[in-house]
Amino acid sequence: MRSRQVLTTVALSFVLAAAAASSVGATPVVSKDAALPVGSNLNEEILDQPTERFGFEAAGGKRSYLFNLGDMLFSSAAIFGGKARDAGMSCNSCHQQGAGNAKLFVPGLSSRPGNFDTTGALFNAKADNGVFDPVTPPSLRGAKYLAPYGHDGRFASLRDFVRNVIVNEFAGPEPSGQVLDALETYIREIAFLPNPKLGPGGRLTREASDAARRGEVLFNKPFPHDPSMSCAGCHQADSAFIDHKVHDIGSGGWFKTKTLINARFNAPYFHDGRFDSFDEVVGYFDKHYDLGLAAQDRADLVAYLDAVGDAEQPYTRNTVQAEVDEIAAFVSVLDVAIPARDKEVIGLTVDSVGGEWRELGENFPGRTDTSVSGGLQERLQARAAVRDLVLSLRRVAMAVEGDDFDQAARIYADYKKQTVAAAASLKLAETWSLFNPVVHDAHFLALKQLADLAK
Amino acid sequence: MVSNVTQIFRQRALQLGCALAVVAFTAGAAQAATMEAGIKSFKPFIVDHIGKAIAGAKELQTAVKAGDVKAAQAAWIKSRKGWEAMETVTGTYFGDIDKEVDAWPDAKKGYHAIEVVLFKAGKTDGLEAPVAEMLGHLDTFQKRAKSKAFDLTAQKLLEGTANLAYEVGEEKSKGGESPYAGTSIIDMQENVESIEMAYKLVFSDTLKKKEPKLATIIDDRISKLEKLVKVADIKSMEQKKVYVAGEELAALLLTAAPKLGLKPFKVGDEEEGADKPK
Repeated sequence: MRSRQVLTTVALSFVLAAAAASSVGATPVVSKDAALPVGSNLNEEILDQPTERFGFEAAGGKRSYLFNLGDMLFSSAAIFGGKARDAGMSCNSCHQQGAGNAKLFVPGLSSRPGNFDTTGALFNAKADNGVFDPVTPPSLRGAKYLAPYGHDGRFASLRDFVRNVIVNEFAGPEPSGQVLDALETYIREIAFLPNPKLGPGGRLTREASDAARRGEVLFNKPFPHDPSMSCAGCHQADSAFIDHKVHDIGSGGWFKTKTLINARFNAPYFHDGRFDSFDEVVGYFDKHYDLGLAAQDRADLVAYLDAVGDAEQPYTRNTVQAEVDEIAAFVSVLDVAIPARDKEVIGLTVDSVGGEWRELGENFPGRTDTSVSGGLQERLQARAAVRDLVLSLRRVAMAVEGDDFDQAARIYADYKKQTVAAAASLKLAETWSLFNPVVHDAHFLALKQLADLAK
Repeated sequence: MVSNVTQIFRQRALQLGCALAVVAFTAGAAQAATMEAGIKSFKPFIVDHIGKAIAGAKELQTAVKAGDVKAAQAAWIKSRKGWEAMETVTGTYFGDIDKEVDAWPDAKKGYHAIEVVLFKAGKTDGLEAPVAEMLGHLDTFQKRAKSKAFDLTAQKLLEGTANLAYEVGEEKSKGGESPYAGTSIIDMQENVESIEMAYKLVFSDTLKKKEPKLATIIDDRISKLEKLVKVADIKSMEQKKVYVAGEELAALLLTAAPKLGLKPFKVGDEEEGADKPK
């Protein structure tokens, strides 16, 4: 009876707390022993994650094998090499859930949170271009419409761009054809988030405010000193607000036009993330092109950018169920890979999914985490369930290494049964896990208090 | 590390000389007798290392009183080494002490609250109370480890060993278990020693008789793990190889359980009761 009361109380606080955003953020790297420099922050421990929508969902389709493989690899450090792999970094570290990462910071590679020098020496000495030129990791929403790729538009092909990220930026091994196919498939499916303020042809709908509508007129108005130019000249509303070209707008080089769709959630702005807000961006263009905007004009343009850049439900609270579902989708590639005796995919899956389970398990504080009280038995069982799954996957890899694919198939079949019981254990312990904002904040506050002792 | 292993193996060989004569009568009894003899040999390893943890903590106490940061840091590392070498049994038998001594994250007590101040702030200020408190917990650990009531079983030891093998492979990208001191590699080396001692003293011979192939593979994985952690720091360690070797070893120890006549178990399946003093 007592434990049930405790459960109810904690569950209630979970529900109440879920309504408010978590107030304690991720902690930066504190150890000189860490793979990344002290002070680095990958902003990994977020509860409210950028919402992900995929093209096939709108078309009533379902996840394909290649999509699942790509989704898994996008979150996997196994395709990278060197420090990036040691640091557990993946595509998702910079492009969280396919969006950007405004808090990403690596001392020596970043000039501010939200940017990163992808051609610095830290991750690959061979890729060092000798220039400190940090850029923002862009949102990948709508990526299939946004060629060319790279801030300077140097890659016509998304596939070439992905290969460059793996091999050059993050020192990974040369990816196989199927790895590139899968990543390209996944990225091409990352869709813009629905925005009721935006209608066909990129025109505002009735949902938009009057100020935004006035801003729309200004956006299409020729510049006073060069009537051949307007904001809409490059950000073409009927073409995902881009023109597929690079331009010199006085920001230090030639950079491609960025989409404005869902851009409210893509700060910081410009290739190097120099601006935090649309207001600063509009102010820059006003000054650089001598537009002579009145305060009201500037406010209207910002309202327009806010409307175009808006999205329905931009963030989604992460849950145990969401994590379990995602891992199930990832591991499903073994349904094909084991019968096909595809050692590459089996190896990548065991490493990647094992890593995902380990990460998920860390959300259930163990005995020595004194910032959490209650639910110890449930937490320990959840941790054990996760470990069991990691080891089952390892046994799959061991069987495959010995060319015993029948044994691998048997172990994988057992693994699938185990996941049902494991999911139940994890959900039972969710109340006392870092998925609960109260527990999350207590844990990260304790980490901060510990770090503060260093002062 | 090697000298410790050799020393305990010598002691064990003497004990086994008598045990083997008895177990030669029946095969069924041989298995239990060998593991029981191994358990008797393993207990001194624990007692020895809690002694080292305490000796280090006492030196730490003296250095803190003297305000000698360098001596305090050296003593902290010494004490920590003793503690980490017992990890095959701490979670299973001393969970109540583990959460006091190895609390994380906790700014008030245990090794890590002391670690931050010593190694990051470079001070000894305010450490007298947490050091004294930790020493008290280590003393309690020692009393219980030396007590006849410390009922170490082969089952629980194998569970603790497999669990530790899994944990050795846990993500170290943020600096490992002692991130502020930068000595996580020492923690790992001691963990692997603990695994090696538990396996070789208690389970190895029995498994060699029952499943020689499996025993050979386990020996190989332990050696592999030992080599992988024999580096200067965790940055120099091949992290992927460590977690694969740790997972493989844990999985193999799970497979070994029924061959050793022990119950199947889940790694990390600790009961809440492990928190209560036994």
